[in-house]
Amino acid sequence: MRTAAIDPPGIAWQRVSPKYITVRLVEWALANLAAVLVLSAPLVFVLLGWWRWPPLWLAVTVPAVMLLVALWRLVLIPRQVRAIGFAERDDDLLIRSGIFFQRTMAVPYGRMQYVDIAVGPVERGLGLCTVKLHTASPGTNARIPGLPAAEGARLREQLAARGEARLAGL
Amino acid sequence: MTADGPLTGPPSVPTGAAAPADTTPDGEWLRVHPASPFVRGWVALAAITVFFGRDLFERTLQGQPVFEDGFARRAPWLLGGGAVVLAVAVLGFVLTWYFTKYQVSGGYVRVNSGLLSRQHRQARLDRVQAIDIVQPLLARIFGLAELKFEVADAGESAVRLAYLKIDEARQLRATILARASGAVSTAGHGAVSAADPRAAGYGGTGHAAGADRFARPAPEAPEFPVLTVPPSRLIGSLLLSEQSFFIVVGGIASVVLSAVTDNRAFYFYLVPAALGLAAGYWNFFNKGYNFTAAISPDGIRLRYGLLDTQAQTLPPGRIQAVKIAQPPLWRPFGWYRMQVNVAGYGTSGNAAEGNTRTILLPVGKFPDVLAMLSLVLPDPGIDRPEAVFAAGLGGWDSDGGFVTTPRRARLLAPFAWRRNGFAATATALLIRSGRWWRELVVVPHQRTQSMALQQGPLARRFRVADLVLHTTAGPVAPRLTQAGLDEVRQLFDEQSARARQARKRQTSEQWLRQVVPAAESRPLPDAPVVEPVETPHSFTQHQQEGQQHG
Repeated sequence: MRTAAIDPPGIAWQRVSPKYITVRLVEWALANLAAVLVLSAPLVFVLLGWWRWPPLWLAVTVPAVMLLVALWRLVLIPRQVRAIGFAERDDDLLIRSGIFFQRTMAVPYGRMQYVDIAVGPVERGLGLCTVKLHTASPGTNARIPGLPAAEGARLREQLAARGEARLAGL
Repeated sequence: MTADGPLTGPPSVPTGAAAPADTTPDGEWLRVHPASPFVRGWVALAAITVFFGRDLFERTLQGQPVFEDGFARRAPWLLGGGAVVLAVAVLGFVLTWYFTKYQVSGGYVRVNSGLLSRQHRQARLDRVQAIDIVQPLLARIFGLAELKFEVADAGESAVRLAYLKIDEARQLRATILARASGAVSTAGHGAVSAADPRAAGYGGTGHAAGADRFARPAPEAPEFPVLTVPPSRLIGSLLLSEQSFFIVVGGIASVVLSAVTDNRAFYFYLVPAALGLAAGYWNFFNKGYNFTAAISPDGIRLRYGLLDTQAQTLPPGRIQAVKIAQPPLWRPFGWYRMQVNVAGYGTSGNAAEGNTRTILLPVGKFPDVLAMLSLVLPDPGIDRPEAVFAAGLGGWDSDGGFVTTPRRARLLAPFAWRRNGFAATATALLIRSGRWWRELVVVPHQRTQSMALQQGPLARRFRVADLVLHTTAGPVAPRLTQAGLDEVRQLFDEQSARARQARKRQTSEQWLRQVVPAAESRPLPDAPVVEPVETPHSFTQHQQEGQQHG
């Protein structure tokens, strides 16, 4: 089900690189597998007979639920990455994300204070980068992940130039 | 409304001759008042005094000899050590004072401080967001004041000068505001201002004419009182606040618990709780006492405080968002509270200080709210602002042109769906919410930073979505909840367009210099070419033309 319900109609979205899925997979593995392992520790101890307190069903249920949630999120990752999109309009940059919890954000060029490019270790290996936009509001959490490095640099220059041209005060 | 009293008349400006004599040439490095380190360090001195004094006092009480045996032998060492400690402390104070200098010139305020690690800060005057004059009790006794201003510039925002003589602080505030407004030229912008006749000053009284405008201090802008909050109403509002409600509930609960369980221990918990609450109430009262709002060409002036007094100046157009709220207990009295987001206020200092500084009106009736709104939003962009704001504060459904949550989504907000809604005027977006805790949030279009549409799975089922407007950090977080999908998408588009128009209209941070691009046509038919959008006086535009050209 491809829902684009809250997007303004007639926008040609630019999508992020499919390689960003790998970045998300690595992040997912680090976060969720660690959590599942930690939560499985009581199960191991109970099975070995070292611990008596958590009953076996509880010791099994907690990591199992965690594992299910993690797998569910794993399945969602490719679709979430495909759902990320941005569009450079004349006066603002639109960024959309999310499948179940959708968000479409408009950041006017004239409001941008500065533009960051961040590159993590995995992203660097894949030649990707993340562009972050900052306005005077801490609520503006505008980031476009998974851009090819050249595209990221182009976007930053573009945004900076447009921001310069339309700069307003606060 | 505010269309009475002295508010609407053109301000009569004290001419240059009436300005206080000031011998400060432009650009000279100055120091704060010599007594300030002691005023600032009095807590340390008081702590030392209490520490030694208490020991002495207790000995006297217990009938012990004040001086132990063998004291005479150790006395020289003790005295010597004490003297050294005191000397080092005083020297530290004096050196800190000596190395702290400030300068106002060329469109910047610079503050250099620090003894071992030097710190240089400079703040652009046209980015001044607010100026406060703060007088803690002790500083007040000595006639000193702290000048604190928030600058929307890169990095840390607050610049503080503590302490200055109160007259100097006022004078400096006037100077900074005059330059920030563009009323007085600064060295960096001299050419621009020469080309711009309106930079000649408020109401054209001509204090800026000639070459002496750099040397002469800026006169303090005239101000007109708008409202005061009577102490009785302040006390009433405190007693009926949400805090009091929970206290009563908590008190009853603990009494009931102790009666049921036959355990007196609950009463002991009440004692520290009561002390803390008393301190909290006292703090509110101390801060909110004698709250006075006034308007001047420099912006909104707020004064308050019983022992520690504070005078805030919010230049026009610096307020990013306003929230008008009414807790349920205030409704019988028709009281409202107003809070604002100002860049820098939300982030600086501790939380309690930030809280008091973001209060635009601690408690006021509907006419007071309208008066303050007229200062914040001089041009509401609608024909009958009273009716619309009344509908925003107390109305239901489509009163006043509000668009509410559609009926199909009433399960998502069973009580508030008839209240949750928005109305867009030519200059601001009004967001209404809450059935018991009524709220109206006003965001000027030209202050919207960015915005986002959000929708969860449940909301998608009911075809509704939320619209979040992002403003600077502060107590107001504008969010339109559960608006119908079609309406909110249309609003999203229109709001982008309106914010863009508003940004184009506002061309300068220097509010007395704002010009409309000639191509821009305003929605108001009688709009003058020189648009006094940011000059707050009343909801009507007409009187302001006279003021601008008079």
